[in-house]
Amino acid sequence: MIEWSGMANRLIAVLVLGYVVMPSPVVGQTDPVAIMEQVDRLLRGDSSRGVATMEVVTENWERRITMELWSLGTEYSLVRLRAPQREAGTATLMAEDDIWNYLPKVDRTIKIPSSMMGGSWMGSHFTNDDLVKESQITEDYVVELAFEGDRDNVAVWEFVLTPKPDAPVFWGRLEYQVRQDDYMPIWTRFYDEDGELSRTMTYSEFEEFDGRLIPALMEMQPIDKPGEKTAIRYQELEFDIGVDENFFSLRNLQDRR
Amino acid sequence: MRNAPWPRLGWRNLERHRKRTILTALGLAVAFFACVFIVGWSQGIMNEMVESATSLVNGQVEIHDAEYLPDRSMYDTIGGRGGADIEGLLEIIEQDVTVVAAAPRLYAGGLISSGDATTAGMFMGVDPVREVRLTRFLDELVEGRLPVSGQNEILVGEEMARQLAVAVDDELVIVGSGADGSMANDLFTLVGVFRTGLPDLDATFTVMPIDVLQSFVVLPANRVHEIAVATVDPFGAPTTATRLAGALPGGGSPLEVVPWMELNPALAEYVALGDSVYGIIVAFVFGIAMFGVANSMLMATYERRREFAVMLALGATPRSVWAVVLSEAFAIGLFSLALGAVLTFPLMVWFHNAPPDMSWLYGDLSLNGALLRPSLRVEYNLPFAGLTAVSLLVTVVLAALYPAMRAGRTPPADTLSGL
Repeated sequence: MIEWSGMANRLIAVLVLGYVVMPSPVVGQTDPVAIMEQVDRLLRGDSSRGVATMEVVTENWERRITMELWSLGTEYSLVRLRAPQREAGTATLMAEDDIWNYLPKVDRTIKIPSSMMGGSWMGSHFTNDDLVKESQITEDYVVELAFEGDRDNVAVWEFVLTPKPDAPVFWGRLEYQVRQDDYMPIWTRFYDEDGELSRTMTYSEFEEFDGRLIPALMEMQPIDKPGEKTAIRYQELEFDIGVDENFFSLRNLQDRR
Repeated sequence: MRNAPWPRLGWRNLERHRKRTILTALGLAVAFFACVFIVGWSQGIMNEMVESATSLVNGQVEIHDAEYLPDRSMYDTIGGRGGADIEGLLEIIEQDVTVVAAAPRLYAGGLISSGDATTAGMFMGVDPVREVRLTRFLDELVEGRLPVSGQNEILVGEEMARQLAVAVDDELVIVGSGADGSMANDLFTLVGVFRTGLPDLDATFTVMPIDVLQSFVVLPANRVHEIAVATVDPFGAPTTATRLAGALPGGGSPLEVVPWMELNPALAEYVALGDSVYGIIVAFVFGIAMFGVANSMLMATYERRREFAVMLALGATPRSVWAVVLSEAFAIGLFSLALGAVLTFPLMVWFHNAPPDMSWLYGDLSLNGALLRPSLRVEYNLPFAGLTAVSLLVTVVLAALYPAMRAGRTPPADTLSGL
């Protein structure tokens, strides 16, 4: 639950920018690398602001967090909790490689040590590893088209991504299902190094925010803990908000607005 | 054979070649000393390890919820999610005659931060009054004092204090996860620094009052993860554990009462391995000694073959000749034993009570979760000394068997005629 700014950054990247994929003319045969590169290219650049809720269901508790998020490219992001009231104002800043948490209860900012990048983010089922690491999919993985055709009457592609030798990645294999008509992802399956399915991310509620289509709901389900899940739903999202690096400052982190 | 002169003859023969007798006996005495001392020293190390591993931080017996190990989930508290009457349990535990002390503990993980420095750590919630009776690591703090119940006060290990660059009275920010999924954070005052000598613990452990940690992680006062128990004798822990398991009430979630041997099987196996090696040490040492004794007995009998020839010529049976030689060997054995005892026991008493401190040579060592202060302390082990004494006597007698048989087969006529 601690180092969540990396997650936040990636979260923003994934949610806000990651799948704002404009259908592009992939003429002739499908080029898996080209499609994934297009996704990847849109993972960076651009600024955004959004409001999202995160609902975490575990065996022991359920909780719902509302948060406001800002991002600039993949280097800068800021997440501030709005609810629950008790934790409102708690904020995380990620600027380049450093991460700070602001704790309003004690009015202190702490810098997260890099050794603490493991573990879950805010008690959710997202691990920091896949969120913090800025892995470029086409750089780190070999992309292969595994299926092209209809699934439940929807034309989709299914890609299998296997890590390149020496790629600094956590997963043993990834599988993506992407809708052909608008390039929206439907699910991602994460396999561990032993080839066992570890968790599944599903995307739904594709909505337009600020003129761009994105999956507003993202649900993560760990396979070894049936009944548990983390769902993130976007409520607001705007792009090109005109912030620069100065916005992502420690002073702004502590702003209790 | 009652009143037979052979044992007396054997005993008297020792004096014939005093130097040789003394040298042979010294060899055996040193073998005796080596066995008893090496094993005593090894046991000293074992006891130190067990004592250190079971009283430094852990207890000799630990009581958990049956689900707690090995995952150590925050929610698997004693008595399950409903908690338990902890005071009641402690009262029952302390009624056991072999129990010296018992203390409740709560654990949680999180971040400890001061200024720009932040590190990950383990929070251990303790009852300060009970804890000092149970464990040693809080007995002598490097600096400061113990935290007080109800106050946001914390102790950290020496290495963590160094990493965070903090000293007593500094403020620490503690961040963790609440049992309700919330982000727990609060300010604490550093009131002391402890040192266990175990690098992992000194870098990652923090200690705070259990009531403070309970409210920090949003757990009620009747929920703890562990009751640690100190017993009179570490090696009697399994018996105590079995008795406590019977005495503690069921109800709620089942309890698990575990002796240190199960919590630290590596250490238990190490101790068992040590025990099994002692016999091998005896076998080796006396195996070597046996050839030395056999050699000198062979020499002694060869030199005296005329004497044996006369005995046999006068009507003594070969069996009587064996008896003379074996008695002589047995007498050497007894003499060696006396010499060995004189050599060994004063040194044992010295090394037991005032062992030389070897830490200038090695510093502190840690092994299997135990801290070793390298001293040459030896433990008394009378049964083993007895076994060694018997082994010594058996060795000399075995070593004399062949020389005795040869002596018994001396041809009287040929020998006496000088052939």
